Amino acid sequence: MLSSFFFLAAADDGADAGKAIALALGIGLGALGAGVGIGNIFGSMIQAVARQPELRGELTGIQWLGFALTEAVVFYGLIGGLLAFVLI
Amino acid sequence: MKRVLALVVLVYFALPSLAFAAENGDEFDPAQEWELQTWGPELKLGPIDMSINKAVAYLILGTIVSILVGIVFMRVVKSGDPDRRQAVGETIYEVAQIQVAEQGLPTKAIGRWFPYVATLMIFIWVVNMIGFIPLPLSDERFELFGVELPTLAIFAATSTLSVTLALALMTWVFTHVEGIRENGVRKYFKSWIPDVPKGMLVFIVPLEVIGQFMRLISLSVRLYANMLAGHMLILTFIGLIFLTHWAVFPVSVFFGTLFYAFEVVIVVSIQAYIFAALSAIYIGSAIEPEH
Repeated sequence: MLSSFFFLAAADDGADAGKAIALALGIGLGALGAGVGIGNIFGSMIQAVARQPELRGELTGIQWLGFALTEAVVFYGLIGGLLAFVLI
Repeated sequence: MKRVLALVVLVYFALPSLAFAAENGDEFDPAQEWELQTWGPELKLGPIDMSINKAVAYLILGTIVSILVGIVFMRVVKSGDPDRRQAVGETIYEVAQIQVAEQGLPTKAIGRWFPYVATLMIFIWVVNMIGFIPLPLSDERFELFGVELPTLAIFAATSTLSVTLALALMTWVFTHVEGIRENGVRKYFKSWIPDVPKGMLVFIVPLEVIGQFMRLISLSVRLYANMLAGHMLILTFIGLIFLTHWAVFPVSVFFGTLFYAFEVVIVVSIQAYIFAALSAIYIGSAIEPEH
């Protein structure tokens, strides 16, 4: 089941190879969006602290909240891809 | 003394990979770690499976350790100057109070819900952290001087969906119970309906209702997928040695260590903080709806 997914996917079966490529592409595209989002968050944080250094403490919490919410998007994609890989 | 300790820790952390090499040979598959086998007799309570497996053992261990964290760092306070232990306890308390509870909960509800969100934070942090310490709780066995022992392996209870879903369900139920108790049934459900033109309500209200259920999914899947992906990455990089060629050893150990450090330093704490903070925000927004 899941075992074929990791390393041996391409070797034996054409359909498995297609699924592996689709999974990798899906996660890669998901990571693209999340990468842009995380860059945005940290960029804005740097700007905000550069303008008003005294707000750093208050902003840190919001920054990590935003970071985790954005980062999780990749993992939704990963879980969706794994589900599709296993079920179909 | 410190150097000896560091060496012992290093050797201890290197042991799981040796166990992998001895056990698996070329049949390596990281997904096997998530096939939970029942330990001992099967305990069935009607349709519910109550038997003990690896994840349950990790959860029990996590519970014991998080209770100990509370007792050691916060209960036992000596009079006089605060020592380092008390400082650690106060730091934990401060993070839970200022960063988590005060961020989401309205002032009148902090007294009631602070214990819950602080418990969530400490418990999830401990369970995540235990997941990155090699412990002899694996399902695999190897023989040492004729005795069968479990191999050292890393596994987090929070990398199974059942655990995180149970935690998220608790927050979800508390959110609605608290919202109804504070505002009454009518006012609470009315607060779900936003201020939009009448015609739009047909589209908006179903979205709001779906959004309430999506919270459950997003809260549980976030923690689950983060821990699962972290463990999978580390195991995969270590496993490359046994799957390809011993010459990839430096590369795979480097990346394995890199991901290990990233997970332990950043992801573990952030996920614990996020879960607790979002629980606080959800409960707080149910107590004091914006509309």
